[in-house]
Formats: sequence, structure tokens, C-alpha cells
Amino acid sequence: MKNTIKNVFHSPKFVMGFIIFFGILVFTIVYPWFVVADPLDMVGQGNFFKPGTYISVRDTVETKHYVLNITAKAGNVGDRIEADDKADMRDWLVKYGGVSQETMDAADDNELVALWVENYDPKAKQKGLLASKKKAFVRLNTEIEKLMKDADLILAEQNEDGELESTGTITSKEYVNTKDIDNKRTLVLGTDNFGRDVLTELVAATKNSLRIGLLAGTVATLIGLLLGLLSGYIGGVFDNVIIFITNLFTVIPSFVLLILITYSVGQNARGLTLMSVVIGLTSWTWTCRSVRSQVISLRNRDHVNLSKLSGHSLMRIVLTDILPYVASYVVMAFILQISSGILSEAQLSMLGLGPSTTKTATLGQMMNWATMYSAHLNGSWWAYIPVVMVIALISFSLNLMNTGLDQVFNPQLRD
Amino acid sequence: MKQRTMKLVAAFAAACMAATSFSASAFAAEVEGSTPRNETLYFAGQQWGTINDWNPMSANSNNAMAIQQKDSTRTLIYETLFMYNLLDNQLYPLLGSEWSWDDEKMSAMTVKLNPDAHWSDGTPLTAADVVATFDYNVKCQSSYGVEMTAYIASMEAVDDQTVSIKSVVGEDGVAVNQLMIQQMLQKMYIMQKAYLETVEGRCESAEDMKLDKMDDLVATGPYKPYYDDDQKVVFVRDDNYWGQAESMWGSLPAPKFIAHTIFGGNDAGLTAFKQGEVDVSQQFNTDVQKMWEEEDLPVTTYIDEAPYNLASTIPSCWFNVEVPGLDRVEVRKAIAMATDYDQILASAMSNQSPSFSDVPRTMMNPSDPEQALFDHDALVDLQWTGNDIDGANALLDEAGIVDTDGDGIREADGVKLSFKAECPSGWTDWNASLEIVAASAKEIGIEIETYFPEASVWTDDYTTGNFEIMMNSVTGASITNPFYRCKQFLYGPYADNEINYQGNYGHYRNAEADEILDKLAVETDEATLKEYYTRLNEIYLTDVPSFGLMYRPDMFYTVNETVWTGYPMQDDGSNIPPTDCTDGYGIAALYNLELVEE
Repeated sequence: MKNTIKNVFHSPKFVMGFIIFFGILVFTIVYPWFVVADPLDMVGQGNFFKPGTYISVRDTVETKHYVLNITAKAGNVGDRIEADDKADMRDWLVKYGGVSQETMDAADDNELVALWVENYDPKAKQKGLLASKKKAFVRLNTEIEKLMKDADLILAEQNEDGELESTGTITSKEYVNTKDIDNKRTLVLGTDNFGRDVLTELVAATKNSLRIGLLAGTVATLIGLLLGLLSGYIGGVFDNVIIFITNLFTVIPSFVLLILITYSVGQNARGLTLMSVVIGLTSWTWTCRSVRSQVISLRNRDHVNLSKLSGHSLMRIVLTDILPYVASYVVMAFILQISSGILSEAQLSMLGLGPSTTKTATLGQMMNWATMYSAHLNGSWWAYIPVVMVIALISFSLNLMNTGLDQVFNPQLRD
Repeated sequence: MKQRTMKLVAAFAAACMAATSFSASAFAAEVEGSTPRNETLYFAGQQWGTINDWNPMSANSNNAMAIQQKDSTRTLIYETLFMYNLLDNQLYPLLGSEWSWDDEKMSAMTVKLNPDAHWSDGTPLTAADVVATFDYNVKCQSSYGVEMTAYIASMEAVDDQTVSIKSVVGEDGVAVNQLMIQQMLQKMYIMQKAYLETVEGRCESAEDMKLDKMDDLVATGPYKPYYDDDQKVVFVRDDNYWGQAESMWGSLPAPKFIAHTIFGGNDAGLTAFKQGEVDVSQQFNTDVQKMWEEEDLPVTTYIDEAPYNLASTIPSCWFNVEVPGLDRVEVRKAIAMATDYDQILASAMSNQSPSFSDVPRTMMNPSDPEQALFDHDALVDLQWTGNDIDGANALLDEAGIVDTDGDGIREADGVKLSFKAECPSGWTDWNASLEIVAASAKEIGIEIETYFPEASVWTDDYTTGNFEIMMNSVTGASITNPFYRCKQFLYGPYADNEINYQGNYGHYRNAEADEILDKLAVETDEATLKEYYTRLNEIYLTDVPSFGLMYRPDMFYTVNETVWTGYPMQDDGSNIPPTDCTDGYGIAALYNLELVEE
């Protein structure tokens, strides 16, 4: 046994898969020690806030200010407008602003801004200009007006009479140290469509999906193993009955069965445990068939016959004389069952048949909502790519472990 | 052997590829029903399946692009007498040129027709056609015909250009519901008498007329059917359209073709829209502003800033008040108070809705005319803004609705407060809204399970009262509103219908509300109206038979100016509503469109 394990860990593929899988597992366990927030808490009010650190605006105003002699990013207004926008501004001024082409050609960026401030009028007749463009110019103009303001910002509070009283000013050279600020939150992977912290949710979801996978894999493997061992060893009518049932389950597409069962139990009942059991109950067939065929080839071996002659009980023969020979196969099958359990959950949740969104996070649920709010079409990669990566990594690592084991246990593949 | 197999496989694959590419190129050369891009206005978000008929009287037509009789009726193929403009709440002439009540009791209405109006077969439109349309709707028992017999007794042709409409009157001789008759002016598709007789001739019974496909339709509209299959539906302009007369539009609509690709889903529609393959989209887009702010697309909406669209309806959460637990007003109110509306607005609706702090909750939509119809001060104490977990908890505790068995969920009269909230699957913003309702309810010890079945299951459930909590919308801007919307929210007799499509899905009963609503139907005095509406809103906010989750436009309206420009925009002085260039007075937009200069 010790030797086998040693052999297994000599397989680079297995080790690689093991490290990835174990890494994910450890991360899901360790992360919640540091971030205790509820993964389903809707922190962001809006869809898909981008990754980054969010700092309380109020705190930046109220905390200690340091004066740094750094020229603010600003520089002059002309440089801060994007080249495309400048070209558009020139076009607009010539077409609708009554500025001649020559003046425009001679004007540098700063003169352009001056001309713009002087001549731009959102109410001007702009024949032939697209409505979307007109609105873009209005926004651009607001932007320029903001840039032009170099005056200090004045802070004011409302006094008892409801009038504003100045309480201070902020110049462009005042800075805050982010360490001084108490109220901040780093959203490493931004937020999802409900405004939930994607990373925290992802960790909780990964944990749940692993749980589903493990439980589903265990259920499927246990059923498959038990039926396979018995039907292979006992044979006869018993075998016929078992293989009939197995065939029945094989021909009914298990995914359809899965959909029907999960749909009929309703969402409240669809907790993690039930989901896993249902997935396990629909995916044991091929473990059963392979175990059975291996047992059939084993049951006439000499040592099994010897055991029979010695009067050993059925259970003892099966457990001590047959099971050890199929054990390596069963472990490999178990690993694949875990992987397919996780994928089945993801598929079901993508169809909206997963556990309740407000109660549990799963990888499939995250994918489902990201797609429903077209994260993939509006550039919110953080809402779905990490999820896809985790699913891919989990099944990749499990498959890698499986291949590694295969190399160790399968005599035909042994070096 | 192995190599030979490989070679065979390779050869076969090559042959397959050649065959498919050949057939693909041959196919591309002459795609049926294809039209020049710069003569076609493409739509998305209106038509989701292969169309099944062209029959306005049909009970199950899915031809949304052609037949859409609602608050603002779609008049591309068939036309109505008048067009509704939700911006000023007025009716604008179309086939009819003017209308008036004959007397103060509104017992009859006279409608004059536009003498220029004629059918697509060239024959003139006459009063007999209008009368025949009504008569046949009644005769074949179309759902609209059945509905209208409650309000319209008969129609008669006075002369070729004049129709007299007799109201159903009560004992006092006053029309039972004058608003529904006005609504008819912009809702009933006028059909040709001669054509209806032809259809009747080929059907076994009058009722069978509802099943006729009407592929050979005769209509008055600016477009006629051109091509349709499971991929798209295309209309072509009728260059002989009567509306080019000076008495109507004075010209033909700009696009020669109207086309709607039948997309597999929102994603496909959005992708096509972003690429400029769709001009006008009725789809809800998450973070719509990103399209112009970040992606620099020539895309815009009616309003440049959030909420981007004109909100006119109130998708609501309905309680079935016959369900134990939900029969307690405290439970209903607590759920409504706990719900985080700001979160719904920001995430489920992507900020495309005015908030309940901007427009405090009532049964009225955010438009100025409706907001002017009630006493704001009288309702202030009754309105709630949401996310009030403490308030909701206190309300439940006070009412003795507490968790007695320690499972974290409260019980009312011995019943565990655990409910199922239902709306159709794939209605993204609604699904997300109900999830947020469920999340808030969890915090006050009420368990809500969301349930998103197919739309047809949901329809069956809410029309038969087979639900606990359900999300559904009400009518938006319309000539009959806010009267009809209030009725949908509160009117008791609706609950008596075995199959109830009309409203009050949760079977709420309040005799006072019923009485006020009956009076409202014929009331025209403004002060009295205001008094009635204030009282109705008080009842609505006190008893909480349902509560609004958001304000929402009737139709989303996002345009891509890659090919066409000149779409109606807020404050452009055109007074054309953002009804996607197809509905009600919004169709006027088609006459203003221009091609984008290259």
C-alpha cells in the first residue's frame, strides 16, 4: 500500500494534477479565514463594478491631507483631450461653429480648446449630425468645462438655516495616504450583476461545487461498485436483473433524467445535498458495467476458487479476494465521477435548475447570471472568466490525476 | 491499413468541406427575401418566432411585428382610426380625421373618416368598413370583440365618411365606460368589408374566421407583407399608400423595407445591434451606456442619461391574498417594506428606471399628467422607500407574527411563512428582481423561493390564481390610464372570472375600491377625479395587494445610427414618442428618418 502510494506520487502527471487540485482546495479553506464577508451580500449597487480598490469618498475628504509638490496629472487641457475627440472637435467647429478651415489648421491644441469654448453651442443647428454624436459632443463639452476649472474645490456644510457654509478648500496638490483610510474594500474580481463580490462568491462557489462533486462522486461510485461487484460475482438471474436496470439507466440520457428530477423537486428542496445525490443517482451506470466485467474475469481465478472451497462467505470473498483487484480502477473512476459531478451541477445551474440563488453560490449559478446579464457582451470579463477557469482547472487537475494513476496501475502503460 | 484509413478519412473530410463551401456560396448569392441594407430598417426584440398568421381577430397570432393591438397600437400593416401619443396623452388622426361625443352623457360618438384613405387594392375606405370590422369582431367572438361588446352597443354608417358609435349605457343613460370607447379608436384594426366577406365565405362558421391565416390580406397601412420564414420577417412599402396625401403624412415613410430577424435570444439580438445590423432595438441591455461611453458605438437612447427611457408602467409583485399567511396585511406590507428597491433599480434594472425616492410609489406612472391626478401630501405617510428591515421586523413582531419553533422562519396563525415567487424564465430583470425580493425577505424571517417556469406556465398560473407570489406588469401609458391600471390593481369583480387575464390576479376584495372604480369610468370632473384617485391609492398603499418593484418603459428604445438617423429624441421638438418607430404616434418617426451621410 505504502509502495503504491509512493509509486503514484512518482507520476509527474498525478503530482501536477494533485497540486492544482489541492491548491484550489486549500485556497477555498484559507480564504474565508481572511475575508469573512457573506459571499451573497450585495455590496455594489449596480451591475458589474470593475476590479479594483474602492475607497470611501467621504474618508478621502475627512482624513489627513498631505501636500505633495507634484504636478497633477492634469497638465494643460489641450493635452488631456484624446486625439479622436480633438479631431471631432475640429470637424464640428468648421461645420457648425462658423470657424474657417484656415484658422482651424493654424490652431494648436490649446487654441482649439479656446475656440471650442467660444463657439460650441449644443443648441446650434447641426444638420446631418447623428443624434448619438450630438450627445457625445455635449458630454465632451461637460468634460472640457470640468478640465478648464483650475479653481480649488470648496467644501461646504449645510447650517441650521439650510444655507451652505464653507468649511474648507481642496487644492490640486493635496493628497491622502491610502493607509489612513479606514473605509475601503478591494474587490479583486469586481462585482457581479447583483453587485456581489465575485472573488468571495467564487471561493464559496468553488467550495460548494467541490462538495457537490465529492458527494455525487461518492454516491455514484458506491452504487456502481456495489452493484458491479455483486452482479459480476453472483451472476445468473441476479446479474441479468442488475444489468437490465443498468442498461435501462444507460439508454435514458442521464442529463434529461437529471433535469426532470431537479425540476420536479422544486427550488427549496434543491440544496447541495439533494443536488449531489440526484447527480450521483444518475451517473453510476458505467462504473457498474466496468466493475462487473472486471469481476467476471476475476471470479474464476484460482485464489477465488480456493476461497470458495475454503467455505468463505460471499461478502468476504468479494471484499478480500476481488475488491483489491478492482480498487485501483475504482479510485480512478471515482476521480472522474467527481469531475463529472461538478460539470453536471454547472450545466444544471446554467439552465436555472441549480440551488436557490439567494441561499448558495455555485459555479453554475455564477455562470448563469453572468450570461443572463450578458457579461460576455459588455466586457465584464471578471464575472465569468474566473469561473470558467476554476471549472476548467478542477476538471483538468482531476483528469490529470486520473491519467497519472492510469500510468501507474495499467501494466500496458507502465514504462 | 491504418494509413489507408487515414487517407480515406482525409479525402472524405476534404470532399465534405468542398461541398459545404460550394453550397454555402451558392446560397449566399441569392438569399431569399434579402433587401438592400440602405433601404431597410432592421428591428430586434419584437418578433421571437416564425409568424403564424396575419389575422387581427386571431386568438393566437404571434405576428407581433404586424399585429400588436395595445395601448399604442402598431400600424405598419393594419391601421387604426387614431394614433395614441403617450407624450401628450392625445389621439392623433389616422384613418379617422375627427371624433366627438354626441351629448354630455356620451351615449354616442361620431367619427369622421379621412376621405383620402383607401385600401391596398385601391378601393376607398368607407364607414361601412369600420362598421363591418366591429360587427365581424363580435360575430366571430374575437377576444377584442367580446371585450368591446361590454362598452359599445353598435356601430352605424351615417354616410360614407361618418360612423356613429352607440355606447352601452347604464340606467342613468350615461355610457358605462367612455374611456374604453376612446381606447377603441386607437386599438381596433380597421379591416375591409369586402375582404371580411371573402374570408367568411371560405370559412365554415363565423368562429372559424379567427383561424384564417389571411395571407392574402387587404389593409390600409404603409407596408405590406414581403417575405417571412423561420429566419426573418420582411415588409415592403406600399408605394400606393394613401397616407402620402397632404391630409395625412404628405410623403411615404423613408425605409422601403421593414425587417426583423428572428434571433435565438437577447444575446444574438444584441450582438447584431452592436454591429449595426439592427437599427432599432426593443431589447433590455445591461449597462446600455457602455455602448457609447466605452465602445464608442453610434448608439443612443431616447434620454441621454439614466434612466435612458421613458418609464410608463409598474412591474409589480402580486400577493395571492387567499393564501394563508399572505392573507395577513402585515406580512404583505413587511415584505414590501423590506425589499431593497435601490438594489433592484441599480442591478436588476441596470439603472434604467426612476427610483421610488424620485417618484414615490402609487398606482400612477411617473408621467406628469398622471402624477397630477392625486394629492401627494395625503399619501406621504403611507409610502415606503424600501430596505427597511427594522421597520418590517417591528411590524411583524407587533402583529404577533414571530418565529415560534426556532427555525429562523416566522409563523402567522400557525402557518410557516414560506412562499414561492414566480415569473417566466429568461425574463432577466424580473428574475433578478424576485431574487432581490427573496434576499430581503430572508432578513425578516420570511422564506421566499423563486420559481421561473416557461412563460406559458406562468400565464396559466396567474390567470387561474394558482400562485403565492407572482411578478407581472400592468398597462403603461394609455388613453384609459391611470383608470385602467388602478382597476387592474384593485378591481374585485375581476377575481370572479374563472380565467382572469384582466387584473387583480391575487383576488383582493375591497367594496369601496370597486365602487370608486365604477364611478371613475364615467367621471370627467377633475377635482372629483383627484379625490377618487387619492382614495384609491390610500387603499392600495394600506392593504398592499401588490407592490411595484420598479418603473419600466412599455418598450425599450435603443437605436444604432450606422445606417439611419433622424430618430425621435427627448427635447428635439418633434413630439414623437419613443415607441420604436412602429407604435401609436411613434410611427411618425418613419417619415423623418434619413440615411447617414457617408
